[in-house]
Amino acid sequence: MKLYLKLALDGVRKNHRLYFPYILIGSVMVMMHYILAALSSTPMLRQFEGGGFLRAMLPMGMWVVVIFAAFFLFYCNSFIIRQRNRELGLFSVLGMSRKNLSLLMLTENLLTAGASITLGMLLGIALEKLAELGMVRLIAEEISYEMRIDGISVIRTAVLFGGIYLLLTLRAIFRVWRTDPLHLLQSTAVGEKPPKANWLFAGLGAGLLIWAYHLAISIQQPLEALTTFFVAVVLVIIATYLLFIAGSVALCRLLQRNRRYYYKPNHFISVATMVYRMKRNGAGLASICILLTVVLVMLSSTLSLCIGAEDAILTTYPHDVLIETHIPSREQMTGENYAARRALLRELAPEQVNVQEYVRGSVSGMFTEDGIIIDAGALEDLSMVVMENIGMVYIVSQQDFEQLTGRTYTLAADECLLLTSRMDYAAPTFTLQGGAPLRVQAVMPDAWQLGADAMNMFPALTLVTPDFAGVTAHLAIDDNNYASGMEMLLAWCYAFDVPGGAESQLALYDPLKNHVRDLSFLRRHGGYSFSLSIREMKRVGFYGTYGGLFFIGIMLSIVFIAAAVLIIYYKQVSEGYEDQKRFAIMQKVGMTKREIRRSINSQVLTVFFAPLLLAGLHLTFAFPLMWKLLMMLNFSNMPLMIVVTACSFVVFGVMYAAVYKMTSNAYYAIVSGKQDNT
Amino acid sequence: MSILEVNHLQKVYTTRLGSAKVEALRSVTFSVEEGEFVAIMGESGSGKTTLLNILAALDKPTSGSVLLDGQDLTGLKESAVAAFRRDNLGFVFQEFNLLDTFTLEDNIYLPLVLAGRPHREMQQYLSPIAHQLGINDLLKKYPYEVSGGQKQRAAVARALITHPKLILADEPTGALDSKSSDELLTILGDLHRLGQTILMVTHSVKAASHASRVLFIKDGEVFHQIYRGDVTNEQLYQKISDTLTMLATGGERA
Ligand SMILES: Nc1ncnc2c1ncn2[C@@H]1O[C@H](COP(=O)(O)OP(=O)(O)OP(=O)(O)O)[C@@H](O)[C@H]1O
Ligand SMILES: [Mg+2]
Repeated sequence: MKLYLKLALDGVRKNHRLYFPYILIGSVMVMMHYILAALSSTPMLRQFEGGGFLRAMLPMGMWVVVIFAAFFLFYCNSFIIRQRNRELGLFSVLGMSRKNLSLLMLTENLLTAGASITLGMLLGIALEKLAELGMVRLIAEEISYEMRIDGISVIRTAVLFGGIYLLLTLRAIFRVWRTDPLHLLQSTAVGEKPPKANWLFAGLGAGLLIWAYHLAISIQQPLEALTTFFVAVVLVIIATYLLFIAGSVALCRLLQRNRRYYYKPNHFISVATMVYRMKRNGAGLASICILLTVVLVMLSSTLSLCIGAEDAILTTYPHDVLIETHIPSREQMTGENYAARRALLRELAPEQVNVQEYVRGSVSGMFTEDGIIIDAGALEDLSMVVMENIGMVYIVSQQDFEQLTGRTYTLAADECLLLTSRMDYAAPTFTLQGGAPLRVQAVMPDAWQLGADAMNMFPALTLVTPDFAGVTAHLAIDDNNYASGMEMLLAWCYAFDVPGGAESQLALYDPLKNHVRDLSFLRRHGGYSFSLSIREMKRVGFYGTYGGLFFIGIMLSIVFIAAAVLIIYYKQVSEGYEDQKRFAIMQKVGMTKREIRRSINSQVLTVFFAPLLLAGLHLTFAFPLMWKLLMMLNFSNMPLMIVVTACSFVVFGVMYAAVYKMTSNAYYAIVSGKQDNT
Repeated sequence: MSILEVNHLQKVYTTRLGSAKVEALRSVTFSVEEGEFVAIMGESGSGKTTLLNILAALDKPTSGSVLLDGQDLTGLKESAVAAFRRDNLGFVFQEFNLLDTFTLEDNIYLPLVLAGRPHREMQQYLSPIAHQLGINDLLKKYPYEVSGGQKQRAAVARALITHPKLILADEPTGALDSKSSDELLTILGDLHRLGQTILMVTHSVKAASHASRVLFIKDGEVFHQIYRGDVTNEQLYQKISDTLTMLATGGERA
């Protein structure tokens, strides 16, 4: 055993260029997993509103890390194995049996796994506080906390990652048993077949990418976007892999066929070598591209949300305080009822400004060309339901509307105004199913939203009519039975602002809550139908959600970036070993060191910046989609989002370039390290 | 007229730590006339490769000078040396040194491409050479697909395609079996007869016996030389092996 330990240690030390980064990346994964696990169980999260969202998101983040780590460690491990085959072959020629080799692999894997897990766990415990601090900052809450080690998270992390490393070890041993030792010895020496251009896959890649982009930009309805989004993402991933693996080789072959282009000093070596580089690195580069895209999308959208949260809060909650309560019957729609509640509210909140009060009818159904179908039973069969057309119609009286907007309108009894949100309307008349067609005097897009509607995601239309009673006469008032299928919900809404900022808003919560019985219009099914939104309280939830999203975005980005950096590093190192020989030969046929360096530089540069550029392209086409998804969260600041996205891209470009610079130093150290021996 | 003049060449290697010094060449002096086929022999470690590297300006001598076609290479800048190497020298190496990412054809074109020649001209240059070396059918293949002898012939073609003044060969038969070695040596002999100047470093007596002159290096100096005169390859072979025996047994300088 001692011998194996020594051999394994030697192996790790001798190949430190391969192993140290591998251990490091393992530690980063372990660390991130521990931090996310520990955070999700931190008592702090239970202390404030909005924490619930994070508590739900963090486990998802944890699984993303675990699954990603498993794939990624497998990738790195096979890279290392490939580089070490020769050494193992040598050992076996020198008389080590397969059993000996397996034991060696076992020891070596245990060593690296142990190092990664221990290091990662220590880092995780040390940095967890920092992460918690960052989280608290983002969520804008002041909460006390103290240093701790979360036992359950430690165990969870150790078990999951122990499992991953166990699989890796098994695979390494399996390989030793399966392959022929002499083959191991030769495996790196055998000449590599020149890559063939796979035109089918290259074309498929381009086609799929165009299709995915088309999908991404043609999505109109945010709700529909969720499924299409998923399809587009999968398509983009497949297309990226195809393009990098097959497309790049095909492109090089195309260039090689053009003799005038190919046989030029600047192109000759670059193009020919690039074919091999791309074949070997295609998958890695595609992975980098996708990781970059994911990180960029994640960061720019969550950051936009975070920065734009204030806007979104104002859009969603135009008033400091909003009260909505349902009216269970037409008989209760009387002036005295309203006046009594108005008076009570004045008493409870004496300082009110910008008061808005109105009665709102609402029906849900499916929009048609010139109206809305309220009762699904009226459809011949349910397959006629078009999901994207399902929405709401709000009905308000002209009188309420004029009081709300401070403008006057002249409407005949059979005329209406339509205020659209998240939809278009073009027909000259509008019919509430079962009622008479109303002539549309004007359509006002996005003119104004009514209270709760601002929080919705589906199409909605506000119908302003001078004859509220007449227009809604054929509708039953919702009594929670849905007996006729033609129900309308009636609500009395009252909104106002209070001077004095957050404190005075929050101070209203208890008094208002305590008077639910008097403020609401009688109960339904034992409870009161009453909703109270105080903006300042919602704000905490917003920041909890958006800040939390951003926080998880950052945490996952760190994992993905670490992975991307490692892929780049391994590429550089392996390229370095191969280019060493070419470097010497090219010098002998008459290239200066500078020329060679320039040629290699341009190849390496192309290879490494291609993923960034493609990621930029992905991001550009993902932008409309991101925009529409964010709109569902009431984000509406397009310029802000463009700036944030562009900045994210630039910052990443710079970081990527820095990483490239650092790793290419390792590369040049290898290339020029061993001088040619003729 | 001398195409190559080597005067009192000295090369001292200093190890990385700077303490130990190895004098690979002490004082090497010789010259090569246009059209000659010179073989350089010597024991392992006698400095043959070092000498060749200096002749190719891949390495700098500690002292002494190398005049190639009357021009002193040691004083030139790297870019000028590279251009000079490209235009005037052809190389054949023991381990072929073909780029595995290129077909044989493209490998052979490499020096011309680097010199910025048009593609049509390359094709014109290639066809007689490929024909002469018998690699016409292999041009589209990659190095890993052909035998060692075929690779070496491609390497010779690459050395010839620029019509160099001098071909430098370092153990060209070192990695070949005897049949391929014979083929290659015949090719070099033919080239020599067509007027090509060749300088070849070798361990192999058989290889050296194809040359028109054989130089022996020992202790960092040119120790002895044999002119072929009008003897046959077999007779020259005998003379060379006698000399080597004498060198090995520490005999006197002839
Ligand atoms: N880069 C170097 N640094 C230090 N010493 C070197 C270096 N290259 C060669 N030497 C030493 O110089 C001497 C001559 O080496 P060289 O390679 O020229 O011999 P050689 O005649 O080509 O041998 P062989 O026939 O085995 O190829 C040897 O003692 C060698 O150890
Ligand atoms: Mg040598």
